[in-house]
Amino acid sequence: MAVSIDHYVGLAAVIFFIGVIGVIVRRNPLIMLMSIELMFNAANLLFIAFARVWLHNAGHVFAFLVITVAAAEAAIGLAIIVTTFGPERYVDVDDVRALHG
Amino acid sequence: MALLPITILLPLVVGALLYALPSFDSAQDKLAGRLSRAIGTLAAIATFAMLVVERDAQWSVRWLARPFTAAFHFGTTPVAFWIALMLALCTACAIATTRVARTRDFVALLLMLEGTMLGLFLARDLLVFALFWDLMLLPVFFGLLNWGEHPTTAWRYFIYNFAGGLTLLLATAAFGVIYGSTDVIGRAGTPLIGAWAPWIFAGFVFAFLVKTPVWPLHTWMPPTYSGLPPPMVAVVSAVQSKAGLYGLLAIVLPLLPHYLRQYALPLMVLAAVSLIYGALVALVQNDAKRVVAYSSLSHLGLIVVAIASMNPLALKGALVYIIAHGLFSAALFMVLGFVEEREETRSLLRLGGLGWKNPRLAGALCIAALAALGLPGLAGFVGELVILIGVYQAGYTWPVVVALIAIILASAYLIRLYQDVMNGPEVEDLPVRADLSWVEGLAVAPILAALVALGVDPAPLLRL
Amino acid sequence: MPHHLLGVPGSYPLVVALWLLPLGGAIICWAFGPRLRTLAGWLASGLVGASFVLAALSWSAATQTAAGALGASQALGSWLPGFDFGLLLDPLSLIWTFIITGVGFLIVFYSTGYMEGDRAYARFFAYMSFFVFAMLTLVLSDNWVGLLVGWGLVGLASYFLIGFWFERPSAVAAARKAFVINVVGDAGMMFAIFLIVANVHSIGFGDLFASAGGLSSTLLFWICATLFIGAIAKSAQVPLHTWLPDAMEGPTPVSALIHAATMVTAGVYLVARSAPLWDHNAEARLLVGAVGGITALVGAILGTAQWDIKRILAYSTMSQIGYMIMAVGVGAYEGGIALFFTHAFFKAQLFLGAGLVIHALNNEQDVRRMGGLWKKMPFAFWVMLTAVLAITGVPGFSGFFSKDEVIYGDLQFGHPVLFAISALTAGITAYYMFRMLFIAFFGEYRGDVDHAHAPGWKMNVPVAVLVAPSVAIGAALLSGGDNSPWTRFFASQFGREVAAIESHRPPAISEGFTSGIVFALVLIGFAIAWWRYASAGAQSKAVERLERETRAMPQVLVHLFYVDDAIQLLVVRPAQRLGAFFGALFDPHVIDGAVRDVAFWARWLGALVRSFQTGLLRAYALILVFGATCFIVYYAFAAGALR
Repeated sequence: MAVSIDHYVGLAAVIFFIGVIGVIVRRNPLIMLMSIELMFNAANLLFIAFARVWLHNAGHVFAFLVITVAAAEAAIGLAIIVTTFGPERYVDVDDVRALHG
Repeated sequence: MALLPITILLPLVVGALLYALPSFDSAQDKLAGRLSRAIGTLAAIATFAMLVVERDAQWSVRWLARPFTAAFHFGTTPVAFWIALMLALCTACAIATTRVARTRDFVALLLMLEGTMLGLFLARDLLVFALFWDLMLLPVFFGLLNWGEHPTTAWRYFIYNFAGGLTLLLATAAFGVIYGSTDVIGRAGTPLIGAWAPWIFAGFVFAFLVKTPVWPLHTWMPPTYSGLPPPMVAVVSAVQSKAGLYGLLAIVLPLLPHYLRQYALPLMVLAAVSLIYGALVALVQNDAKRVVAYSSLSHLGLIVVAIASMNPLALKGALVYIIAHGLFSAALFMVLGFVEEREETRSLLRLGGLGWKNPRLAGALCIAALAALGLPGLAGFVGELVILIGVYQAGYTWPVVVALIAIILASAYLIRLYQDVMNGPEVEDLPVRADLSWVEGLAVAPILAALVALGVDPAPLLRL
Repeated sequence: MPHHLLGVPGSYPLVVALWLLPLGGAIICWAFGPRLRTLAGWLASGLVGASFVLAALSWSAATQTAAGALGASQALGSWLPGFDFGLLLDPLSLIWTFIITGVGFLIVFYSTGYMEGDRAYARFFAYMSFFVFAMLTLVLSDNWVGLLVGWGLVGLASYFLIGFWFERPSAVAAARKAFVINVVGDAGMMFAIFLIVANVHSIGFGDLFASAGGLSSTLLFWICATLFIGAIAKSAQVPLHTWLPDAMEGPTPVSALIHAATMVTAGVYLVARSAPLWDHNAEARLLVGAVGGITALVGAILGTAQWDIKRILAYSTMSQIGYMIMAVGVGAYEGGIALFFTHAFFKAQLFLGAGLVIHALNNEQDVRRMGGLWKKMPFAFWVMLTAVLAITGVPGFSGFFSKDEVIYGDLQFGHPVLFAISALTAGITAYYMFRMLFIAFFGEYRGDVDHAHAPGWKMNVPVAVLVAPSVAIGAALLSGGDNSPWTRFFASQFGREVAAIESHRPPAISEGFTSGIVFALVLIGFAIAWWRYASAGAQSKAVERLERETRAMPQVLVHLFYVDDAIQLLVVRPAQRLGAFFGALFDPHVIDGAVRDVAFWARWLGALVRSFQTGLLRAYALILVFGATCFIVYYAFAAGALR
């Protein structure tokens, strides 16, 4: 049985939703960052898969762009985590509520 | 010619450069204050000279091509020329008599105020006009914030006038899109009519009425005028309050005359209410600056009446009165500033009897107050007379009667102002300070001389 | 005499010179102030005197001009087409110029003695010179705006001089009142100018008079009525007269020049100047005549109830100006102007004589604290006596001729009621003038100044000079009825109009008979005054009698007919209340209240939206997913992708 585009789409959807649920459910910011990476990679997977289907290079280009943005995002995210990392050596995003209305 | 943009840029640049003067300790600060006062006065005089030289100059650089054409177009119309001249004169006189804390920063703000207002009055493009409209609010805002009596006054000033600026910008944008160009001030174009025109008219008029101000949009004005330091309030009341009237004369009147005619009556009612309301309130104020502030509300109402009547004679008179009001309100605020500086109060209940020891101060206040109450022979009278002749010719009798009542009230509150400060028995516990210094005298003299000269022969203004 | 200046044909340079000389004096005295010392007085009186000489030199130019022209004129400049300014010297303005500069010179000269030692000596002469300049502007202008400028400037000069001793609160209040009431008059005149310019398109006198016949009678009435508001205010006519008695707060020479001889007669000048308008409108005539008559009577009645010597004279001025206004109102222009002319002399003499007394008694003005002064100050007594005889109209004195012409004029022009009022007023005048004379100069001295210091020659000489015209000028100029030098002098000015009105009908009573009636009333007034204040019985217990009279004075006279109270209650108070209400309640609570309401609703809306901003990152993520899901579902179904 050949691997069709549907399989790729299905796998990407599964990975994406794992990421979504990870962001919503987990309170550890490191895990949340990793979940976001999962969502990025689900999108990347789709880009590559469809680049192949359409025989068009734009998908590759976008995948690289996403990887770059993801790297930048991880850098900023980790920096934020470090600044909120208090003396108790434990971070819970629910405790970071400075922007509540 | 390139002198015109230099005229506008000079005060802005000099003002910005003044911040480079060192003022790290109090000795330096004092020196910087003196230096900037001298430099600022010279810069303002220079703009005056350049304006006289460049009386009919034009200067233009393309700015936008889409969605409508706009240009950095500056030039003098006759009305703008006289207002700009008065602006340069008042700024020079105001800077020369500045005596506040952090003089350097204050003079810099005054110069920037002059520069932005020169840009406003010399702009021949609506978009540039709107741009400078918002810019000219900033120096006053910072002046109120740093030297004013209460920060809420600054915010009140800013919110009111910026709201006006917003409707001005919206109206300008709509105008540009419909008309195709905003490069229209002082140019004989066809008037705008159509479905959007009433809204554009409303946007302009709201902005201009807030700035003037006209009842009931005036409540930002008394605290602003009483809160600002005297040199700045002299410039603001003399010139910035004319921005709205200039807008009515140079933008609404030529470009939207149909709607001005259609809404002349409501405008005139508001202006007439301002006339009486301002005069009545001025009658009972005990703060000298507030008396003058409310008198401005009353006097500027007369100019709005003149513009709403759309009579050629009334419009000539309006120009005379714009200049006359600028001169006498600047003189009044400056002299009252001198009084406050010397006696450390401006309450009419506290002041009194200064005339014996300060004859020159009394003379200056007297001439300014007399010009303001429309004494025949001084410039204010010419404006009132010609305006009211025109308004009556245009067929409006009741605003004329209202204006005459306001003139009678004006004589009452301005004589009260003068007498409560200068006449009566000398008050024992008021500090005794020297009479008008020669710098102060020299600063007020040209304004008073202009009031007399224009009162005797206003022909240069009337024959435009 | 060359009648052109700088090549302008028909121009007359002397007018400009005589007009501007006093202004020069004012500027010099004002600018150099105390440094001039006594030179200020000499300079000011010298320049006013020079002005008088120039006016005398202009006599022929003003009276002997080509047919059709009113007099000597001088164009000055123009604001706009229709707004042309110039000076005009014709018989009418010449008479006023004579009084302003001539009597003005004497009074300014008198002031050099009266004001000696005052700490603002130079300032006083600056103001006096400025007043003379302003008054000349008023009478020499050939147009309405110039007239109004003069009108406003004399008001200003009067304000300065009433409030000259401005450390006194009463003087400050009097000055303020005078100024504001005068501005009421200015406003009325401004309205008249609006009417004139809107219909004639010119401010010149000539242009209006030429077309006066063509204007509708309603319009003419309103022009006349609004012009007359100016006259009411300036000439202290009922009901705007209350400033004049208060104006006596000023130094006495000021009262003599401004508030007796010249400025307050500006209303008479105004009506006489615009005679062609009044001639075309009988209703306006009646208005002016009635106001004048009422003022004459009211002033005289109030004059009987005063104790301050200057206030007595002030009310008598008001009453005499009422006479003048009534005369020019009914059309007896020559009579009204004759009364102005003679009144200027004898009223100036009265005030300056009173000034001698006040000066000698250390500023005592209450006649109850005088008495017996004819022994102490015989010169002042003779001065006052001749002036009183003149003002009451004793035959032979100048007042007799002028007043006679005024009173007979009422009958001549068909106003018997006004005739009755003015004859009655003449009787009352005799009563209160002799009352003043008897209380102040007869009997025993009741004051406490031991040593009355005698005024110097600088004060005595001008007063002595004034005695001659106030005694004799009437007989010299006014006797001879319609053929007197006076009537012939004004022939070109009013001749035409008077002839037109005189064709009415000749009065049934002759002039000699009315003179007899008036003189009989004057004698009655004199007799009552004699009986009450000068007879032996009255002299015996003078102090007690005066005290009793003070206590028994009717309230309505003490309150001066409640005019001041009425103005206070109906105009001043409501204006102040309204201003206080607007300033203290309407502005901060209604207008700013509305603005604050807008702010309140903005805040309320903000609070509503704020509750969604929990700050929980995971909640935001959930909402985001929810929103995205909604989008996808909507587009999937709406676009039909999953159908």
